[in-house]
Amino acid sequence: MGDFLQQIVGYINPYYLQILVNIGIGIILALGLNVITGLTGQLSLGHAAFMSIGAFTSALLTIKLGMPFGINLILTGFITAAVAALIGLPILRLTGDYLAICTLGFAEIVKVVFLNLDITNRALGLTVPAAATSIPMPIVVWGVVLLTIICVTFIHNSRFGRALMAVRGDEIAAEAMGINVTLYKVQSFALGAFIAGVGGGLYAHFMGYINPSDFGFLKSVDILSMVVLGGLGSITGSVIGATILSAAPEFLRFMASYRMLVYGGLLVCMMIFRPNGLMGNVSFTGLVLRALGRKPHLKKIMEQKISETSRSGNGDT
Amino acid sequence: MNFKNSTALILSAVLALSVVAGCKKKEEAPKAEAPKAAGDTIKIGFLGALTGDVAMFGKPTLEGMKMAAEDLNAAGGVLGKKIEIVEADNRGDKQEGASVTQKLISRDNVIAIVGDPTTGITKVAAPIAQKAGVLLISAGATGPGVVENGDFIFRNTLLDSVAIPACIDYFANELKYKKVAIITSDNNDYSVGFSQTFRDAAKGKGIEIVADEKVKDGDKDFSGQVTNIKAKKPDVIFFSGYYTEGALIMKEARKQGVKANMFGGDGLFSPEFIKLGGTAAEGSMSALGFAPEQASPETAKFIEAFKKKFNGALPGLFDAQGYDGVMMIADAIKRANSTDPKVFKTAMASTKNFLGVSGTITIRANREPIKTPLCLLAVKDGKFVLKAKVPVKMD
Repeated sequence: MGDFLQQIVGYINPYYLQILVNIGIGIILALGLNVITGLTGQLSLGHAAFMSIGAFTSALLTIKLGMPFGINLILTGFITAAVAALIGLPILRLTGDYLAICTLGFAEIVKVVFLNLDITNRALGLTVPAAATSIPMPIVVWGVVLLTIICVTFIHNSRFGRALMAVRGDEIAAEAMGINVTLYKVQSFALGAFIAGVGGGLYAHFMGYINPSDFGFLKSVDILSMVVLGGLGSITGSVIGATILSAAPEFLRFMASYRMLVYGGLLVCMMIFRPNGLMGNVSFTGLVLRALGRKPHLKKIMEQKISETSRSGNGDT
Repeated sequence: MNFKNSTALILSAVLALSVVAGCKKKEEAPKAEAPKAAGDTIKIGFLGALTGDVAMFGKPTLEGMKMAAEDLNAAGGVLGKKIEIVEADNRGDKQEGASVTQKLISRDNVIAIVGDPTTGITKVAAPIAQKAGVLLISAGATGPGVVENGDFIFRNTLLDSVAIPACIDYFANELKYKKVAIITSDNNDYSVGFSQTFRDAAKGKGIEIVADEKVKDGDKDFSGQVTNIKAKKPDVIFFSGYYTEGALIMKEARKQGVKANMFGGDGLFSPEFIKLGGTAAEGSMSALGFAPEQASPETAKFIEAFKKKFNGALPGLFDAQGYDGVMMIADAIKRANSTDPKVFKTAMASTKNFLGVSGTITIRANREPIKTPLCLLAVKDGKFVLKAKVPVKMD
């Protein structure tokens, strides 16, 4: 099985494979943040901290225990989620700017802790051995991407997801409707962190070397840009945003030193002309159905209307 | 409607801009690709940052590499083939470093890569090069865990583990230092590794470590650490971090009346150190693998050529190491009489007493380089001048 998959991967140019994996990891991280910021409306500027916790946990599980990669990733996810729940309980009582500053501070704390722990090799970072699996990394990454997409889509359309959207729309109204706001916020925080932790674990094993400084503020902003560019709350949007922003530096390479200029310019134009993001207020299933010549289901339209109104009620975030 | 018009306007402006930017590059592109079809070039990739925080290491490395390629091509090339340098910017980002390495190997078909000048990205690139069977020689990575990646991975820098024992011998025997205070910047990987090397090397050399203080990159106030050090009366302060903190520490030390000078690695070697430190910087020392003074014949020739090309500017450590990186690859190819990395990597591993412009280089059995001499520079009258060339024991 492993050999067969290895062969398939062998047909693809390693350079494109590298970009594909970068995109895949970007999508996983963006989807995680989308649950927290897009779906629940809690602005987090510390998403890279969860990626960092995941990367180091997963690396250590491989180095110290040689744990099979599948179990490793799941355990990593749970540990990261536990940390997120712990930190989420006190700070999720804050809203808006205050929460953003808190998550920012948390990310700095994580970085400093890893820079001073012997087990993470301090500032020297960890060299991560190959993952304990016979399946090639690109396939693992894209497998996780698919799983994550399916997972968050189900959450999006579940009772839980609707509760999160209600919290995003208006916390007081949600509370009045019997939603335990703090509980749901912490759960969404933990879920987003779980996904980020798995993404971090994949990053660590694919790159082969991690350093606490890799997961700084800029990384958090990168992930946030993916979500905002795609459209807050939109799963398709997060996927497209992550794809564009992960691939852009490579596809713009022909412009040499102009490329980061164009990259920044694209972001600015995007936000001016589509402030809700690429897929903001667009129902992907509706688009597909219309392309097939069918009218979108009435329920979908209603849902979209609801999410639109809830978004406009939350215009300041 | 007006809004739509302006959308179109700006989008077309962006498009036009990218077309212009694209054209500029394309004019050069055919030139680079023409010889490839003829199959008479040897492609060597440059891995490093041309933009971003660490571009100050990447740019000179590329300049040095280009000079080496020009010199080799002017002399008829290597095995009758021209050397071509393929460059790509990685912005000092690890993820991009990995992508660039893959691109150089699988798209540009390079047979060898020179870079990255920083340890972190080299550690990411090394497994990729090793797996693909492409030789990688880092012109700058000094940290541990680089050549351990496999038999295609080399470096040509003066390692701290080689330089520091030589320095300590010089301190103990020539300058009669007995007590040293160590300061580490503990959020800087280079500094943490460098300090550890120093502690290990100082064992059994008759030098006592009287203080072991910690600071952070970005700190501004060092009065606490300096007070602790002052009480221990060291002969020299070893600081393993960068020039900004180094200069501020020295200012504080002089303010508190500490007489001891500072000693550090190439992290201190910057005009900024003197600018920030002022008179407090006087006497501070930096250990480097390269100094333009007292040059060997090879180095003198290189300095002349460099001055001619860059309007009298003096080459630095990274220019010289980039130059040597390409020259060592050419030397290995010539000796192996083959452009296959699988073959010339063995020749590279047996490089002995290679007369490079950044020193004499020997690759040891563990593929780690050993270089001589070590240049000890000290600040005198607001300038770094050569204090001593310390020979390194070649085994």
